[in-house]
Formats: sequence, C-alpha cells, structure tokens
Amino acid sequence: MRRHLLILLTVAIMIPSFAALVLGGIGLVQHERAMERVARSYVVDIAESVASRLDMSWSRTRSFPLNDRERFLRLRQVTWGLSIPGWVAVVDVNGTVLVSTADAEVLRLLWQKGIPVGSAIEVDSREGEKYTLAAFPAGDTGWYVVAAVSWDKLMGPMMRFNRWPILVGLIGFLGIVSVLALWKWLVAPLRVLGNEVSSLQLGKDIPQGDDPSAVFEIRRLRQVLEQLARGAVERAQLMKQYVGDIVRVQEEERSRIAREIHDGPLQDVTALIHQIRLSRMVKDPKNEDTRHLENAEDGAIHAVSEMRALCDELSPPWLDLGLSQALDELTERLSRHLGVEIPVEVDCDEELPADVTLSFFRVVQEAVHNSVRHGRASRVSLRLSCDNGKALLEIADDGTGFEPPGDFEELRVRGHRGLANMSERMSLIGGKLEVGSSDEGGTLIRCKWGPTSSSA
Amino acid sequence: MAIRVILADDHPLTRAGLRDYIAKERDLVLVGEASDGDEAWDLIERERPDVALLDIRMPGENGVSLARRIKESSLPVIPVMLTSFDAQQYVMASLRAGARGYILKTVTPEELSRAIRVVARGGLYLDGEVARSIEDGDSAFESLSGREREVLLYAARGLSSKEIAKDLIISERTVQTHLASIYDKLGARNKTEAMLLALKYGIVALEELIE
Repeated sequence: MRRHLLILLTVAIMIPSFAALVLGGIGLVQHERAMERVARSYVVDIAESVASRLDMSWSRTRSFPLNDRERFLRLRQVTWGLSIPGWVAVVDVNGTVLVSTADAEVLRLLWQKGIPVGSAIEVDSREGEKYTLAAFPAGDTGWYVVAAVSWDKLMGPMMRFNRWPILVGLIGFLGIVSVLALWKWLVAPLRVLGNEVSSLQLGKDIPQGDDPSAVFEIRRLRQVLEQLARGAVERAQLMKQYVGDIVRVQEEERSRIAREIHDGPLQDVTALIHQIRLSRMVKDPKNEDTRHLENAEDGAIHAVSEMRALCDELSPPWLDLGLSQALDELTERLSRHLGVEIPVEVDCDEELPADVTLSFFRVVQEAVHNSVRHGRASRVSLRLSCDNGKALLEIADDGTGFEPPGDFEELRVRGHRGLANMSERMSLIGGKLEVGSSDEGGTLIRCKWGPTSSSA
Repeated sequence: MAIRVILADDHPLTRAGLRDYIAKERDLVLVGEASDGDEAWDLIERERPDVALLDIRMPGENGVSLARRIKESSLPVIPVMLTSFDAQQYVMASLRAGARGYILKTVTPEELSRAIRVVARGGLYLDGEVARSIEDGDSAFESLSGREREVLLYAARGLSSKEIAKDLIISERTVQTHLASIYDKLGARNKTEAMLLALKYGIVALEELIE
C-alpha cells in the first residue's frame, strides 16, 4: 500500500487530538464523580450535624411546652451561624418548612415524596438545575433536617462543562481546518511539483520558479529546481550551438575543398587533356608516342570524372541553383545509382535561404539512402511545398517501414546516426523533423521549416 | 565567312588549349579572350561575336547570367556554355537563360568545332556526356504521340504530375503512364534527361520548352 502524505499527516494530527479528547473526557467524568461524592458527604454531614444539634437542644427543653414563637427562636438558634454554600431547613412530616437558612425557598420546590432518609441523592429542579440533597430525622422530634447544595452554585463553572459535543465538534473542526491547510500549502504544491518534475524535459523545459501557495521549503525547492533547469537549458543551447558550429564548419570546409578541387586540379587536368589532344593531332597515329599519349589522355579523363564525382560528393556546385533544381539533380542521380524510382513534386516558387536549402538537401540524401538500405524501398516520393516563407518537405517510401523512436538521440547511442543527423540538421535551421508511416506502409519523413516551427 | 568566336574562362591553361583547338579550324576565328565575367561582357559588346564560349563559374558575372544578359539585350550573339559542371540542371538553367549550346571542357577538338558550327547555323548542341547521345542519323527512338509531347512540354515547365493532370483534364496516373512511355521511347532515365533528349532529337523546340 502506498502511504500518502496527506493520510499520514491527517492521522498524525487526529490521533493526538482524539487521545487528548478521550483523556479529557475521562478526567471530566472522574472529576464529576468525585464532586458528587464530596457534595453527598457534605450535605449528609450538614444534615446530620444539624439534626443532632436540634435533637440535643430539644431534649433539654422537652419538660415544658413551648409556644410557637419560642419554638421558632429555638430552631433559629440551631441553625444560627451556619454559613454554608447551600441550604438547611427543618421540616415537619408534612413537608412544611419550620425554619430555614436564607433563600431556602428552593427546598420547597425540591421537596418531594420518596426522598430517602439518611442518604444523599441528586435531584433536578424543574429548571433543570442539579442539586444534591439529604434529609435526616432530628431524633424523635418528628422533624427532619434537609440540607441541599446547588451544583451550579457550588461548583459553578466547573460543572458547566457539560458541552462535550461542542468540544468534540470544535476539535474535529480544527482537525479538518488543519488538514485542509496541510493540503493547500503542503500536499497539493508537493503533488504539482512532483508532476512537473516527472514530466520535465531537462534541457528543454523550465519549471515555474515559485508557487505562492506553497510552504517556504517547497518554494525554496522550486527555486533550486528552476535554477537547475535553467542551467540545463543553457547547456543544451550551448551544445546545440556547438554542434551547429561543427556542422557549419564541416559544410564550409567541404564546399571549400570542392571549390578548390574544381577550380584547381580539375581545371589543370582538363587543360592537360587539351594539350595531349593537340599533340596527338600532329603525331602520326602509328607512332609509338601516340599510344603513350592516348594512355595519358584516358588517365586524365578518368581523373577528371573522379574529381567531379568527388566534388559532387563533398558539396555539389549545383546546390547554387536553388532547392527545387538541386533536388531534381540529386534525385535523378540517386535514382540512377540506387535503382529506385524517385518522383519529385515541387510546389515552391520561393527562394529559400542557402542553409535551409543545404539542410533539406542533406536530409533527402540521407533519407533516400536509408529507405533503400534499411527499408529496401523501390520507390521514394518527394514532395516540397512552400507557403509564405514556410517550407514543408515530405519523403515517403514503400519500404518495410519501422517503429519511429521516441528520441533520436537514443538511436544515435545505438549507432544509427542517420535519423539523429537529419533531425539535428533540421533543428539547426530552426526546423522540425517528424517520422511516421507512409500510406504504402513504409516510412514518412516530414520536415517543416518556417517562422512558426522555429518557435516550437 | 568565318564564324567569329570569343572565349571566356578564368583558367589560362584551359584558354590556351581551347584557343589552339579553334585555331586549327579554318572557318573559325577567335576574336578575343576574357578571364572573368565583366571582361567577357565588355568583349561581347565590343566585338559582337557570332558565338560566345562562356565558362559557368568565373570571377565576376557567371556564364549563365551573361547568357541571360545577352538574351535580354537582344545582342546577335549566341551563348554556348563551356564548363566542367556535368549536372543536367545546369544544362536546363543555361538553356532557360538563352544558351544554345552546352559543352564540357573535356570536349574533343572535333566536337568543339562541330558545336560552334551547329549553333552558328541556328541549331542546338548538347554535350553527349550530359544528355546521352545516340549516334547521328540513328533515329532508333519511337516518335512521341501528340499527348506525350504535350505532357513533356508541361513537365518541362516545372509543373507537377498533379498540375499537368488538372490542366489536361486527365488522371494523375495517366500523366505518369505518359511520362514512363516518354522515358522509354527516348531512352531517358528521368524528366530532365527526357527534355534534353527531346531537344537533341528535335522532338520539341527550345522555344517551346523554355517559354
């Protein structure tokens, strides 16, 4: 199973929160129980002590009857000086309050049948307030001492923590908020970054340098990544420039050598042929010298045709005629040498720059050779069209075709330089080379050049 | 009357050889030599020769462009290319520019004088090496049909098979069948060669081909 960061973080946040919540809950319940016990023993104590005091005081005056007023004063004495957070009252069997501490009206409300004597109980008033109450008989007077304490007043704010669900809700809410915050600032930016890095073509793409919604560390990571990518792009550009320079220098050199051969030795040997022919004209054909001259002439003619072939191979002079005618000448020669049919369709009246002409020329040269050598094609068709400074060249063959590689460099590594070279030729003039399948099941090579393709 | 010839070539040894070739013929007279394009133009304007032998590659103005200038100035001078370039596209480019002959510098003295005489008479001369020739008088080739001739002329103007098909209201496949038949009849291996051979054999006139 994959451990997602968000899940881990959520769990990490939630576990301690819930643990705290549960512990808090347990603590609170324990506390409430303790309070209940305290309150019970408290009211029981009060009621018991008042009852015993009442009994004692009463038994001393039992010998003579008391009128109501005397009885009241006596009862007051018993309860006098009691300062308690609650109430004490003396009631008779019927529940009539004979005497009580201040504000003991509430007892009348709480007094009900069935209250056990001698032990404390919790009673809820009609308003929902909680009380602990205890009643004790005051000896044989027939009266009862009732003591009560209000939870609200005694323990006040502590016990109001009866809003447990709200607390749980609040913690849950905070948990969700923090998970969302983690998602927004940490997990989501991390995921975006991860996707960007996985699809990043080093040397080509530059990722976004900042993500304002991410945490500082991720933003820092992005900055570093951007710097790395920039460095790679610069290196790639430098590399491209370097390769471009090599190709350019190579072509310049080839064309210089071709020109030198053409203007130098080729002309010299041609002049030599003229001289041989002239001297042969004055000689007697039967003469031994004439035979030598004939041999010399044949050798010189052979040298001329070899030098011409060499010039054409290095850098054909007829490239100067423009792409359309250069392609005609090239394909006519290739079809003669390789024995393949090469129909050419040209729909291009525009004059293309010399480097573009040269690149297209070299691509065709390579492509036709590849079609014959690797695809065993018998027909390679060329189609060149120009439109508003854009040029499109399509080379389709009827050969065996092949699975186009995703990356030409991969082919180069495997030692197949042809496609990589063609692609490089196009990229050096700011063009693009695509490889696909032709209608006949062979290979289709498409070269695009123009202002739009250079930006792509 | 002798045919007046000028020779423009930047290579002195080549000029020397060709000069001697021409000197051997009684009906040819070399009236001037130039070693670059600009000199050649001055010479042409001054001497008004019958035939101008022009190298394609020269310092200054090149031979093809000189031929075009002669054509544009309507000078009564017949340009003939004398070059080391054996590319058929150069032949076509030269003919389009107004040249009436195309000879390689490895030409024999006999061929050179014949070429000069042919173009001076108003003919067209193409070197055997650039358009494989069949021996004179050998008309082994079958004559082209009217349609084939038409297709060849359209193709010579640089129209694609598709465009020819559209103009002649026939299918592209028919155009290709015609072209294949033309190559076969002329013994040509491609379009350019077919055009050059058709010119050589007089099947089409140069004016028709390069209009």
